[in-house]
Amino acid sequence: MGRLAMQGTSAHGETAYHVATGPVGAALEIDDFSLWYGKTQALHGITMRIEKGLVTALIGPSGCGKSTLLRSFNRMNDLIEGLTVTGRIRLDGTDLYGAGVDVIALRKRMGMVFQKPNPFPLSIFENVVYPLRVDGVRDRDLLEDTAERALKAAALFDEVKDRLQENALGLSGGQQQRLCIARAIAGDPDVLLMDEPCSALDPIATAKIEELIANLKGAYSIVIVTHNMQQAGRVSDNTAFMYLGRLIEYGETQRMFVAPVVPRTQDYVTGRFG
Amino acid sequence: MRVVDPALQNLREKLLRMGSLAEAILEKALISAWKRDRAAAREVQIDDLEIDRLDLAIDEAVLRILATQAPLADDLRGVIAAKMIATDHERVGDLARNIAKCALRLAEHPEVPIPPRLRALGEEVQRVLHRALDSFADGDPERAAQVLEQDDRVDADQDLVIRAAIQEITSHPELTSQGVDFILIAKNLERVADHATNVAEDVILATQARNVKHAAKLGQ
Repeated sequence: MGRLAMQGTSAHGETAYHVATGPVGAALEIDDFSLWYGKTQALHGITMRIEKGLVTALIGPSGCGKSTLLRSFNRMNDLIEGLTVTGRIRLDGTDLYGAGVDVIALRKRMGMVFQKPNPFPLSIFENVVYPLRVDGVRDRDLLEDTAERALKAAALFDEVKDRLQENALGLSGGQQQRLCIARAIAGDPDVLLMDEPCSALDPIATAKIEELIANLKGAYSIVIVTHNMQQAGRVSDNTAFMYLGRLIEYGETQRMFVAPVVPRTQDYVTGRFG
Repeated sequence: MRVVDPALQNLREKLLRMGSLAEAILEKALISAWKRDRAAAREVQIDDLEIDRLDLAIDEAVLRILATQAPLADDLRGVIAAKMIATDHERVGDLARNIAKCALRLAEHPEVPIPPRLRALGEEVQRVLHRALDSFADGDPERAAQVLEQDDRVDADQDLVIRAAIQEITSHPELTSQGVDFILIAKNLERVADHATNVAEDVILATQARNVKHAAKLGQ
């Protein structure tokens, strides 16, 4: 695995030590990105690289800005009144917040999975092919092929192949979440954004999602927000620790959990604060 | 206070107790050898049982902490180091028993003066072990590093003792049994120093997140 080493100093003077790994390059390049909700600054000069094909975990106490950062990647925060941003987030060189960016097209390149499974009150099949329906696809073969591919990729196909026309709300919580992942990847995105995808699931369903994340890695660049340190340790290659809207430390997950460099990271992962 | 803190503190106390027992048992084993004290030699066998009991208790505590607390960062390194240090203490107890067995054999044969170099080696190894235990008690990586520096000297001193004992056996074959026991004591002392070195390495891992094991051999 290739290695990119960067070192820098965060805006408030505390060392943010970056060691990210990745053989392919950057999926997202975040450069001095700040965000305000009205007069309240939620993100302070975030600079980091999300490695292509790897899993990146965002950790930190509630209110640290990790979900805000995640939602900045697909501009979901745009809907919030009074939002302002500075700096850049680039996807394959394109500034996501640049003038003339097609936000709808951008979001198609970013699959999103939320904390609570949110299937539509439609059939399992229609849930999966929803992104294609929105694009106006009517080719039945293409829709069926896509549904099968996405459900297989989400490790759900065998469980639902005989009841694709049943209402998705009849699935278990874990199955619903895998269905949402299938829906997210049906549109063939570059990046999968996951905001605490297992927090509403039991350990068995959680294990399935984690296995799924491991299987999807490589084909997709995955960014996962989690409060579960063990989950971050199990599924991610790199981990970013945020605090009060700042990136405090970013590095290989194993190092972050065995020997973090910044004392505040150590205090957080060991439960001394937060 | 975090939920994990009492468990970590309890683990540390067990380890400190085990370390002080390891130090005491080595002292008693050496006295039994130097003074032909059979009673002390037999006590060593009994004292070692307490070290073994603590070893089991630490195994259980480590498993419980890993299973229920999922420690990370310095907590994780501390728990892993504790398990490794406990193993080293337990081995020191075994080595002290070996020395006490030598003492019992020596007491069965005509008295021969203890070679001064062997006594000096014993004192040196006791100092090394003491320093290693202090480095753990204080979480002091600098003192631990000093322990690592002393290991080569112990090895060299052990070689001198063994060579002198072989010479003595060659010159006085009637003293072969005593000579062999002197060699065995030296060998066991050298291994005690090795375990003290391991403890020091674990202290460095726990406190500084640096794994210095085999550093010289592997050229790190």
